[in-house]
Amino acid sequence: MEFFVALMVALLVGCRSGASPAPATLHLTDDMGRPVALAAPARRIVSLLPSATETLLALDARDRLVGRTRYDRDPSIAAVTDIGGGLDPNVEALVGLRPDLVITSAGDARGDLADRLATAGIATLAIRIEDTTDAYRSMLTIARAIGDSARGVVLVDAIRSDLRRVAASVTGRRPRVFYVVFNDPPMTAGPNSFIGQLLDVAGAENIFADVDRNWATVTMEEIVKRAPDIVILPTGELPASSLAKLRAQPGWSSLAAVREGRVAFVDGDLVNRPGARMGAAARALHDALAASAP
Amino acid sequence: MTTRTLARSGILVVVLCIAIVIGIRLGAVPLGVRTIMEAFLGRGTDAERAIVLELRAPRVLLAALCGAALALSGAAYQALFRNPLAEPYILGISSGAAVGAVLAVVLRFTALGPWSLPAAAFLGALGALALVLRAALVSQGLLDRHVLLLAGVVVGAFCNAGVLLFLSFADAESFRSAVYWMMGSLGGATWERVGVMAVVLCVGGTALLAQARTLDLLAIGEPTAAALGVHVERAKRLGFLTAALLAAAAVSVAGVIGFVGLVVPHAIRLMRGSMHRELLPSAALLGAAFLVLADVLARTVAAPVDLPIGVVTALIGVPLFVMLLRRGRTT
Repeated sequence: MEFFVALMVALLVGCRSGASPAPATLHLTDDMGRPVALAAPARRIVSLLPSATETLLALDARDRLVGRTRYDRDPSIAAVTDIGGGLDPNVEALVGLRPDLVITSAGDARGDLADRLATAGIATLAIRIEDTTDAYRSMLTIARAIGDSARGVVLVDAIRSDLRRVAASVTGRRPRVFYVVFNDPPMTAGPNSFIGQLLDVAGAENIFADVDRNWATVTMEEIVKRAPDIVILPTGELPASSLAKLRAQPGWSSLAAVREGRVAFVDGDLVNRPGARMGAAARALHDALAASAP
Repeated sequence: MTTRTLARSGILVVVLCIAIVIGIRLGAVPLGVRTIMEAFLGRGTDAERAIVLELRAPRVLLAALCGAALALSGAAYQALFRNPLAEPYILGISSGAAVGAVLAVVLRFTALGPWSLPAAAFLGALGALALVLRAALVSQGLLDRHVLLLAGVVVGAFCNAGVLLFLSFADAESFRSAVYWMMGSLGGATWERVGVMAVVLCVGGTALLAQARTLDLLAIGEPTAAALGVHVERAKRLGFLTAALLAAAAVSVAGVIGFVGLVVPHAIRLMRGSMHRELLPSAALLGAAFLVLADVLARTVAAPVDLPIGVVTALIGVPLFVMLLRRGRTT
């Protein structure tokens, strides 16, 4: 019996000491408040978050990206291994890529991915982005993780000045808009979400500027009552709907904006991703609004 | 009909009317009675008219029609199967409809405009029904209710597997749409859907009511019915088909709404006995009122979020039914 206990202890201790990593030189904290320790700047990164992928590309770290999701459609990374969806990646394929850092979404409800990767000795960096401040912070964190903090600061400054330029180009009355996150049941972006903030920069007045939540389900009755001048419909990754489809649906067909064709289409892959292309997203929103102004 | 049955039906008509008025009065946007009346008269703002005439009124009427169709279908099945657990979806209707609807969502089938999804769901329901009937006929040549019941269960399981298979290939938006559809919603109500559902309900309801006496006899037993001159095989086929079409139409325009078809007929039986001449119209009226009120709750309790209507029907239906059961036992 004593021998058995001693054996178990030896095995346990053995396991522990066997897994001890090289001393970390980079200490980060991710958006779930967890410490992330890296022995060296990450060289083999899997990004499960399209906005983080954009940021890596903007930081000139394309050669460090060894895995991406099926939603990353930038042609320059078409050859990078696709490990499936960001929330349901193929874990075997992911581990097989031997990454030293996996960037995950902190909104991952399952939450066990980080633990499973930790047992394989792979560090994870969870990112949560609700507004532009979160987006800037994520860019600085990712820049630090690849050992290039200075470039992160430059990137954030560039986006901030892009947004200032778009805001400065806004003239005239602000159209009242409804932004379609989902079509049925209708969901929209609140004023404190990055989309709400980009809408403001682009010169729009969000008809749901009074909602608390960042992603708010709203009723068709309320949309009809608030009668937006323009409906903004993202296309691409999540084609929320088409004009013909909206015109045939109860409620939507009652909106003057839909009846009279004041529906602004924007690239959903651009606008719905709080990454390094937020400046371009604000510009696209601004131009789409100008094109369909009442 | 005796004066007493007329009076009792009258009460249910009044209950349904009150439910409809409440349904049009209450919603996400508070509107006064005066505003609503003006909207019906074509006055008021565009937004008010749109809310009352294009959103609320068709939704309330569609709820009433679907509630009636599901209750009728359930009542007929319970007699035909001589099984109190029979409900409108028992022959694989809802699972078949779900396969059609999910396929339409995932494959982005939009050729029929706003009717694409209902048409796909209806075809799916008919497909499942055809499979079930075929399976039941092959084994005996006649419609055996036990075989039919089993066929319904296995075809339903097969269809559910199909739904999950297709969903695993769906993207986020399709997944969301499909799951919302399966939870049941009257949010897609339009006047066209109300029209189609009204026609289906009139035809199906009349067909079942014309068979009221046959259903009474079949509920006692097939040999008895045959001895009393009922053409059993023909009556069963007509009954199964009519009940299935009512359920298929309802599921096509409003998704899967459980519980109404199971419980409403039992409630009527407990209160008024099981003669189908009275059971069928009473169940239709109560089913209609019940679904209208359930939908009012679904729209208002957690506004701006619409609760899935099936959740509401079960949450208020189960306690009500348990209460009825206990009362039925003690008296």
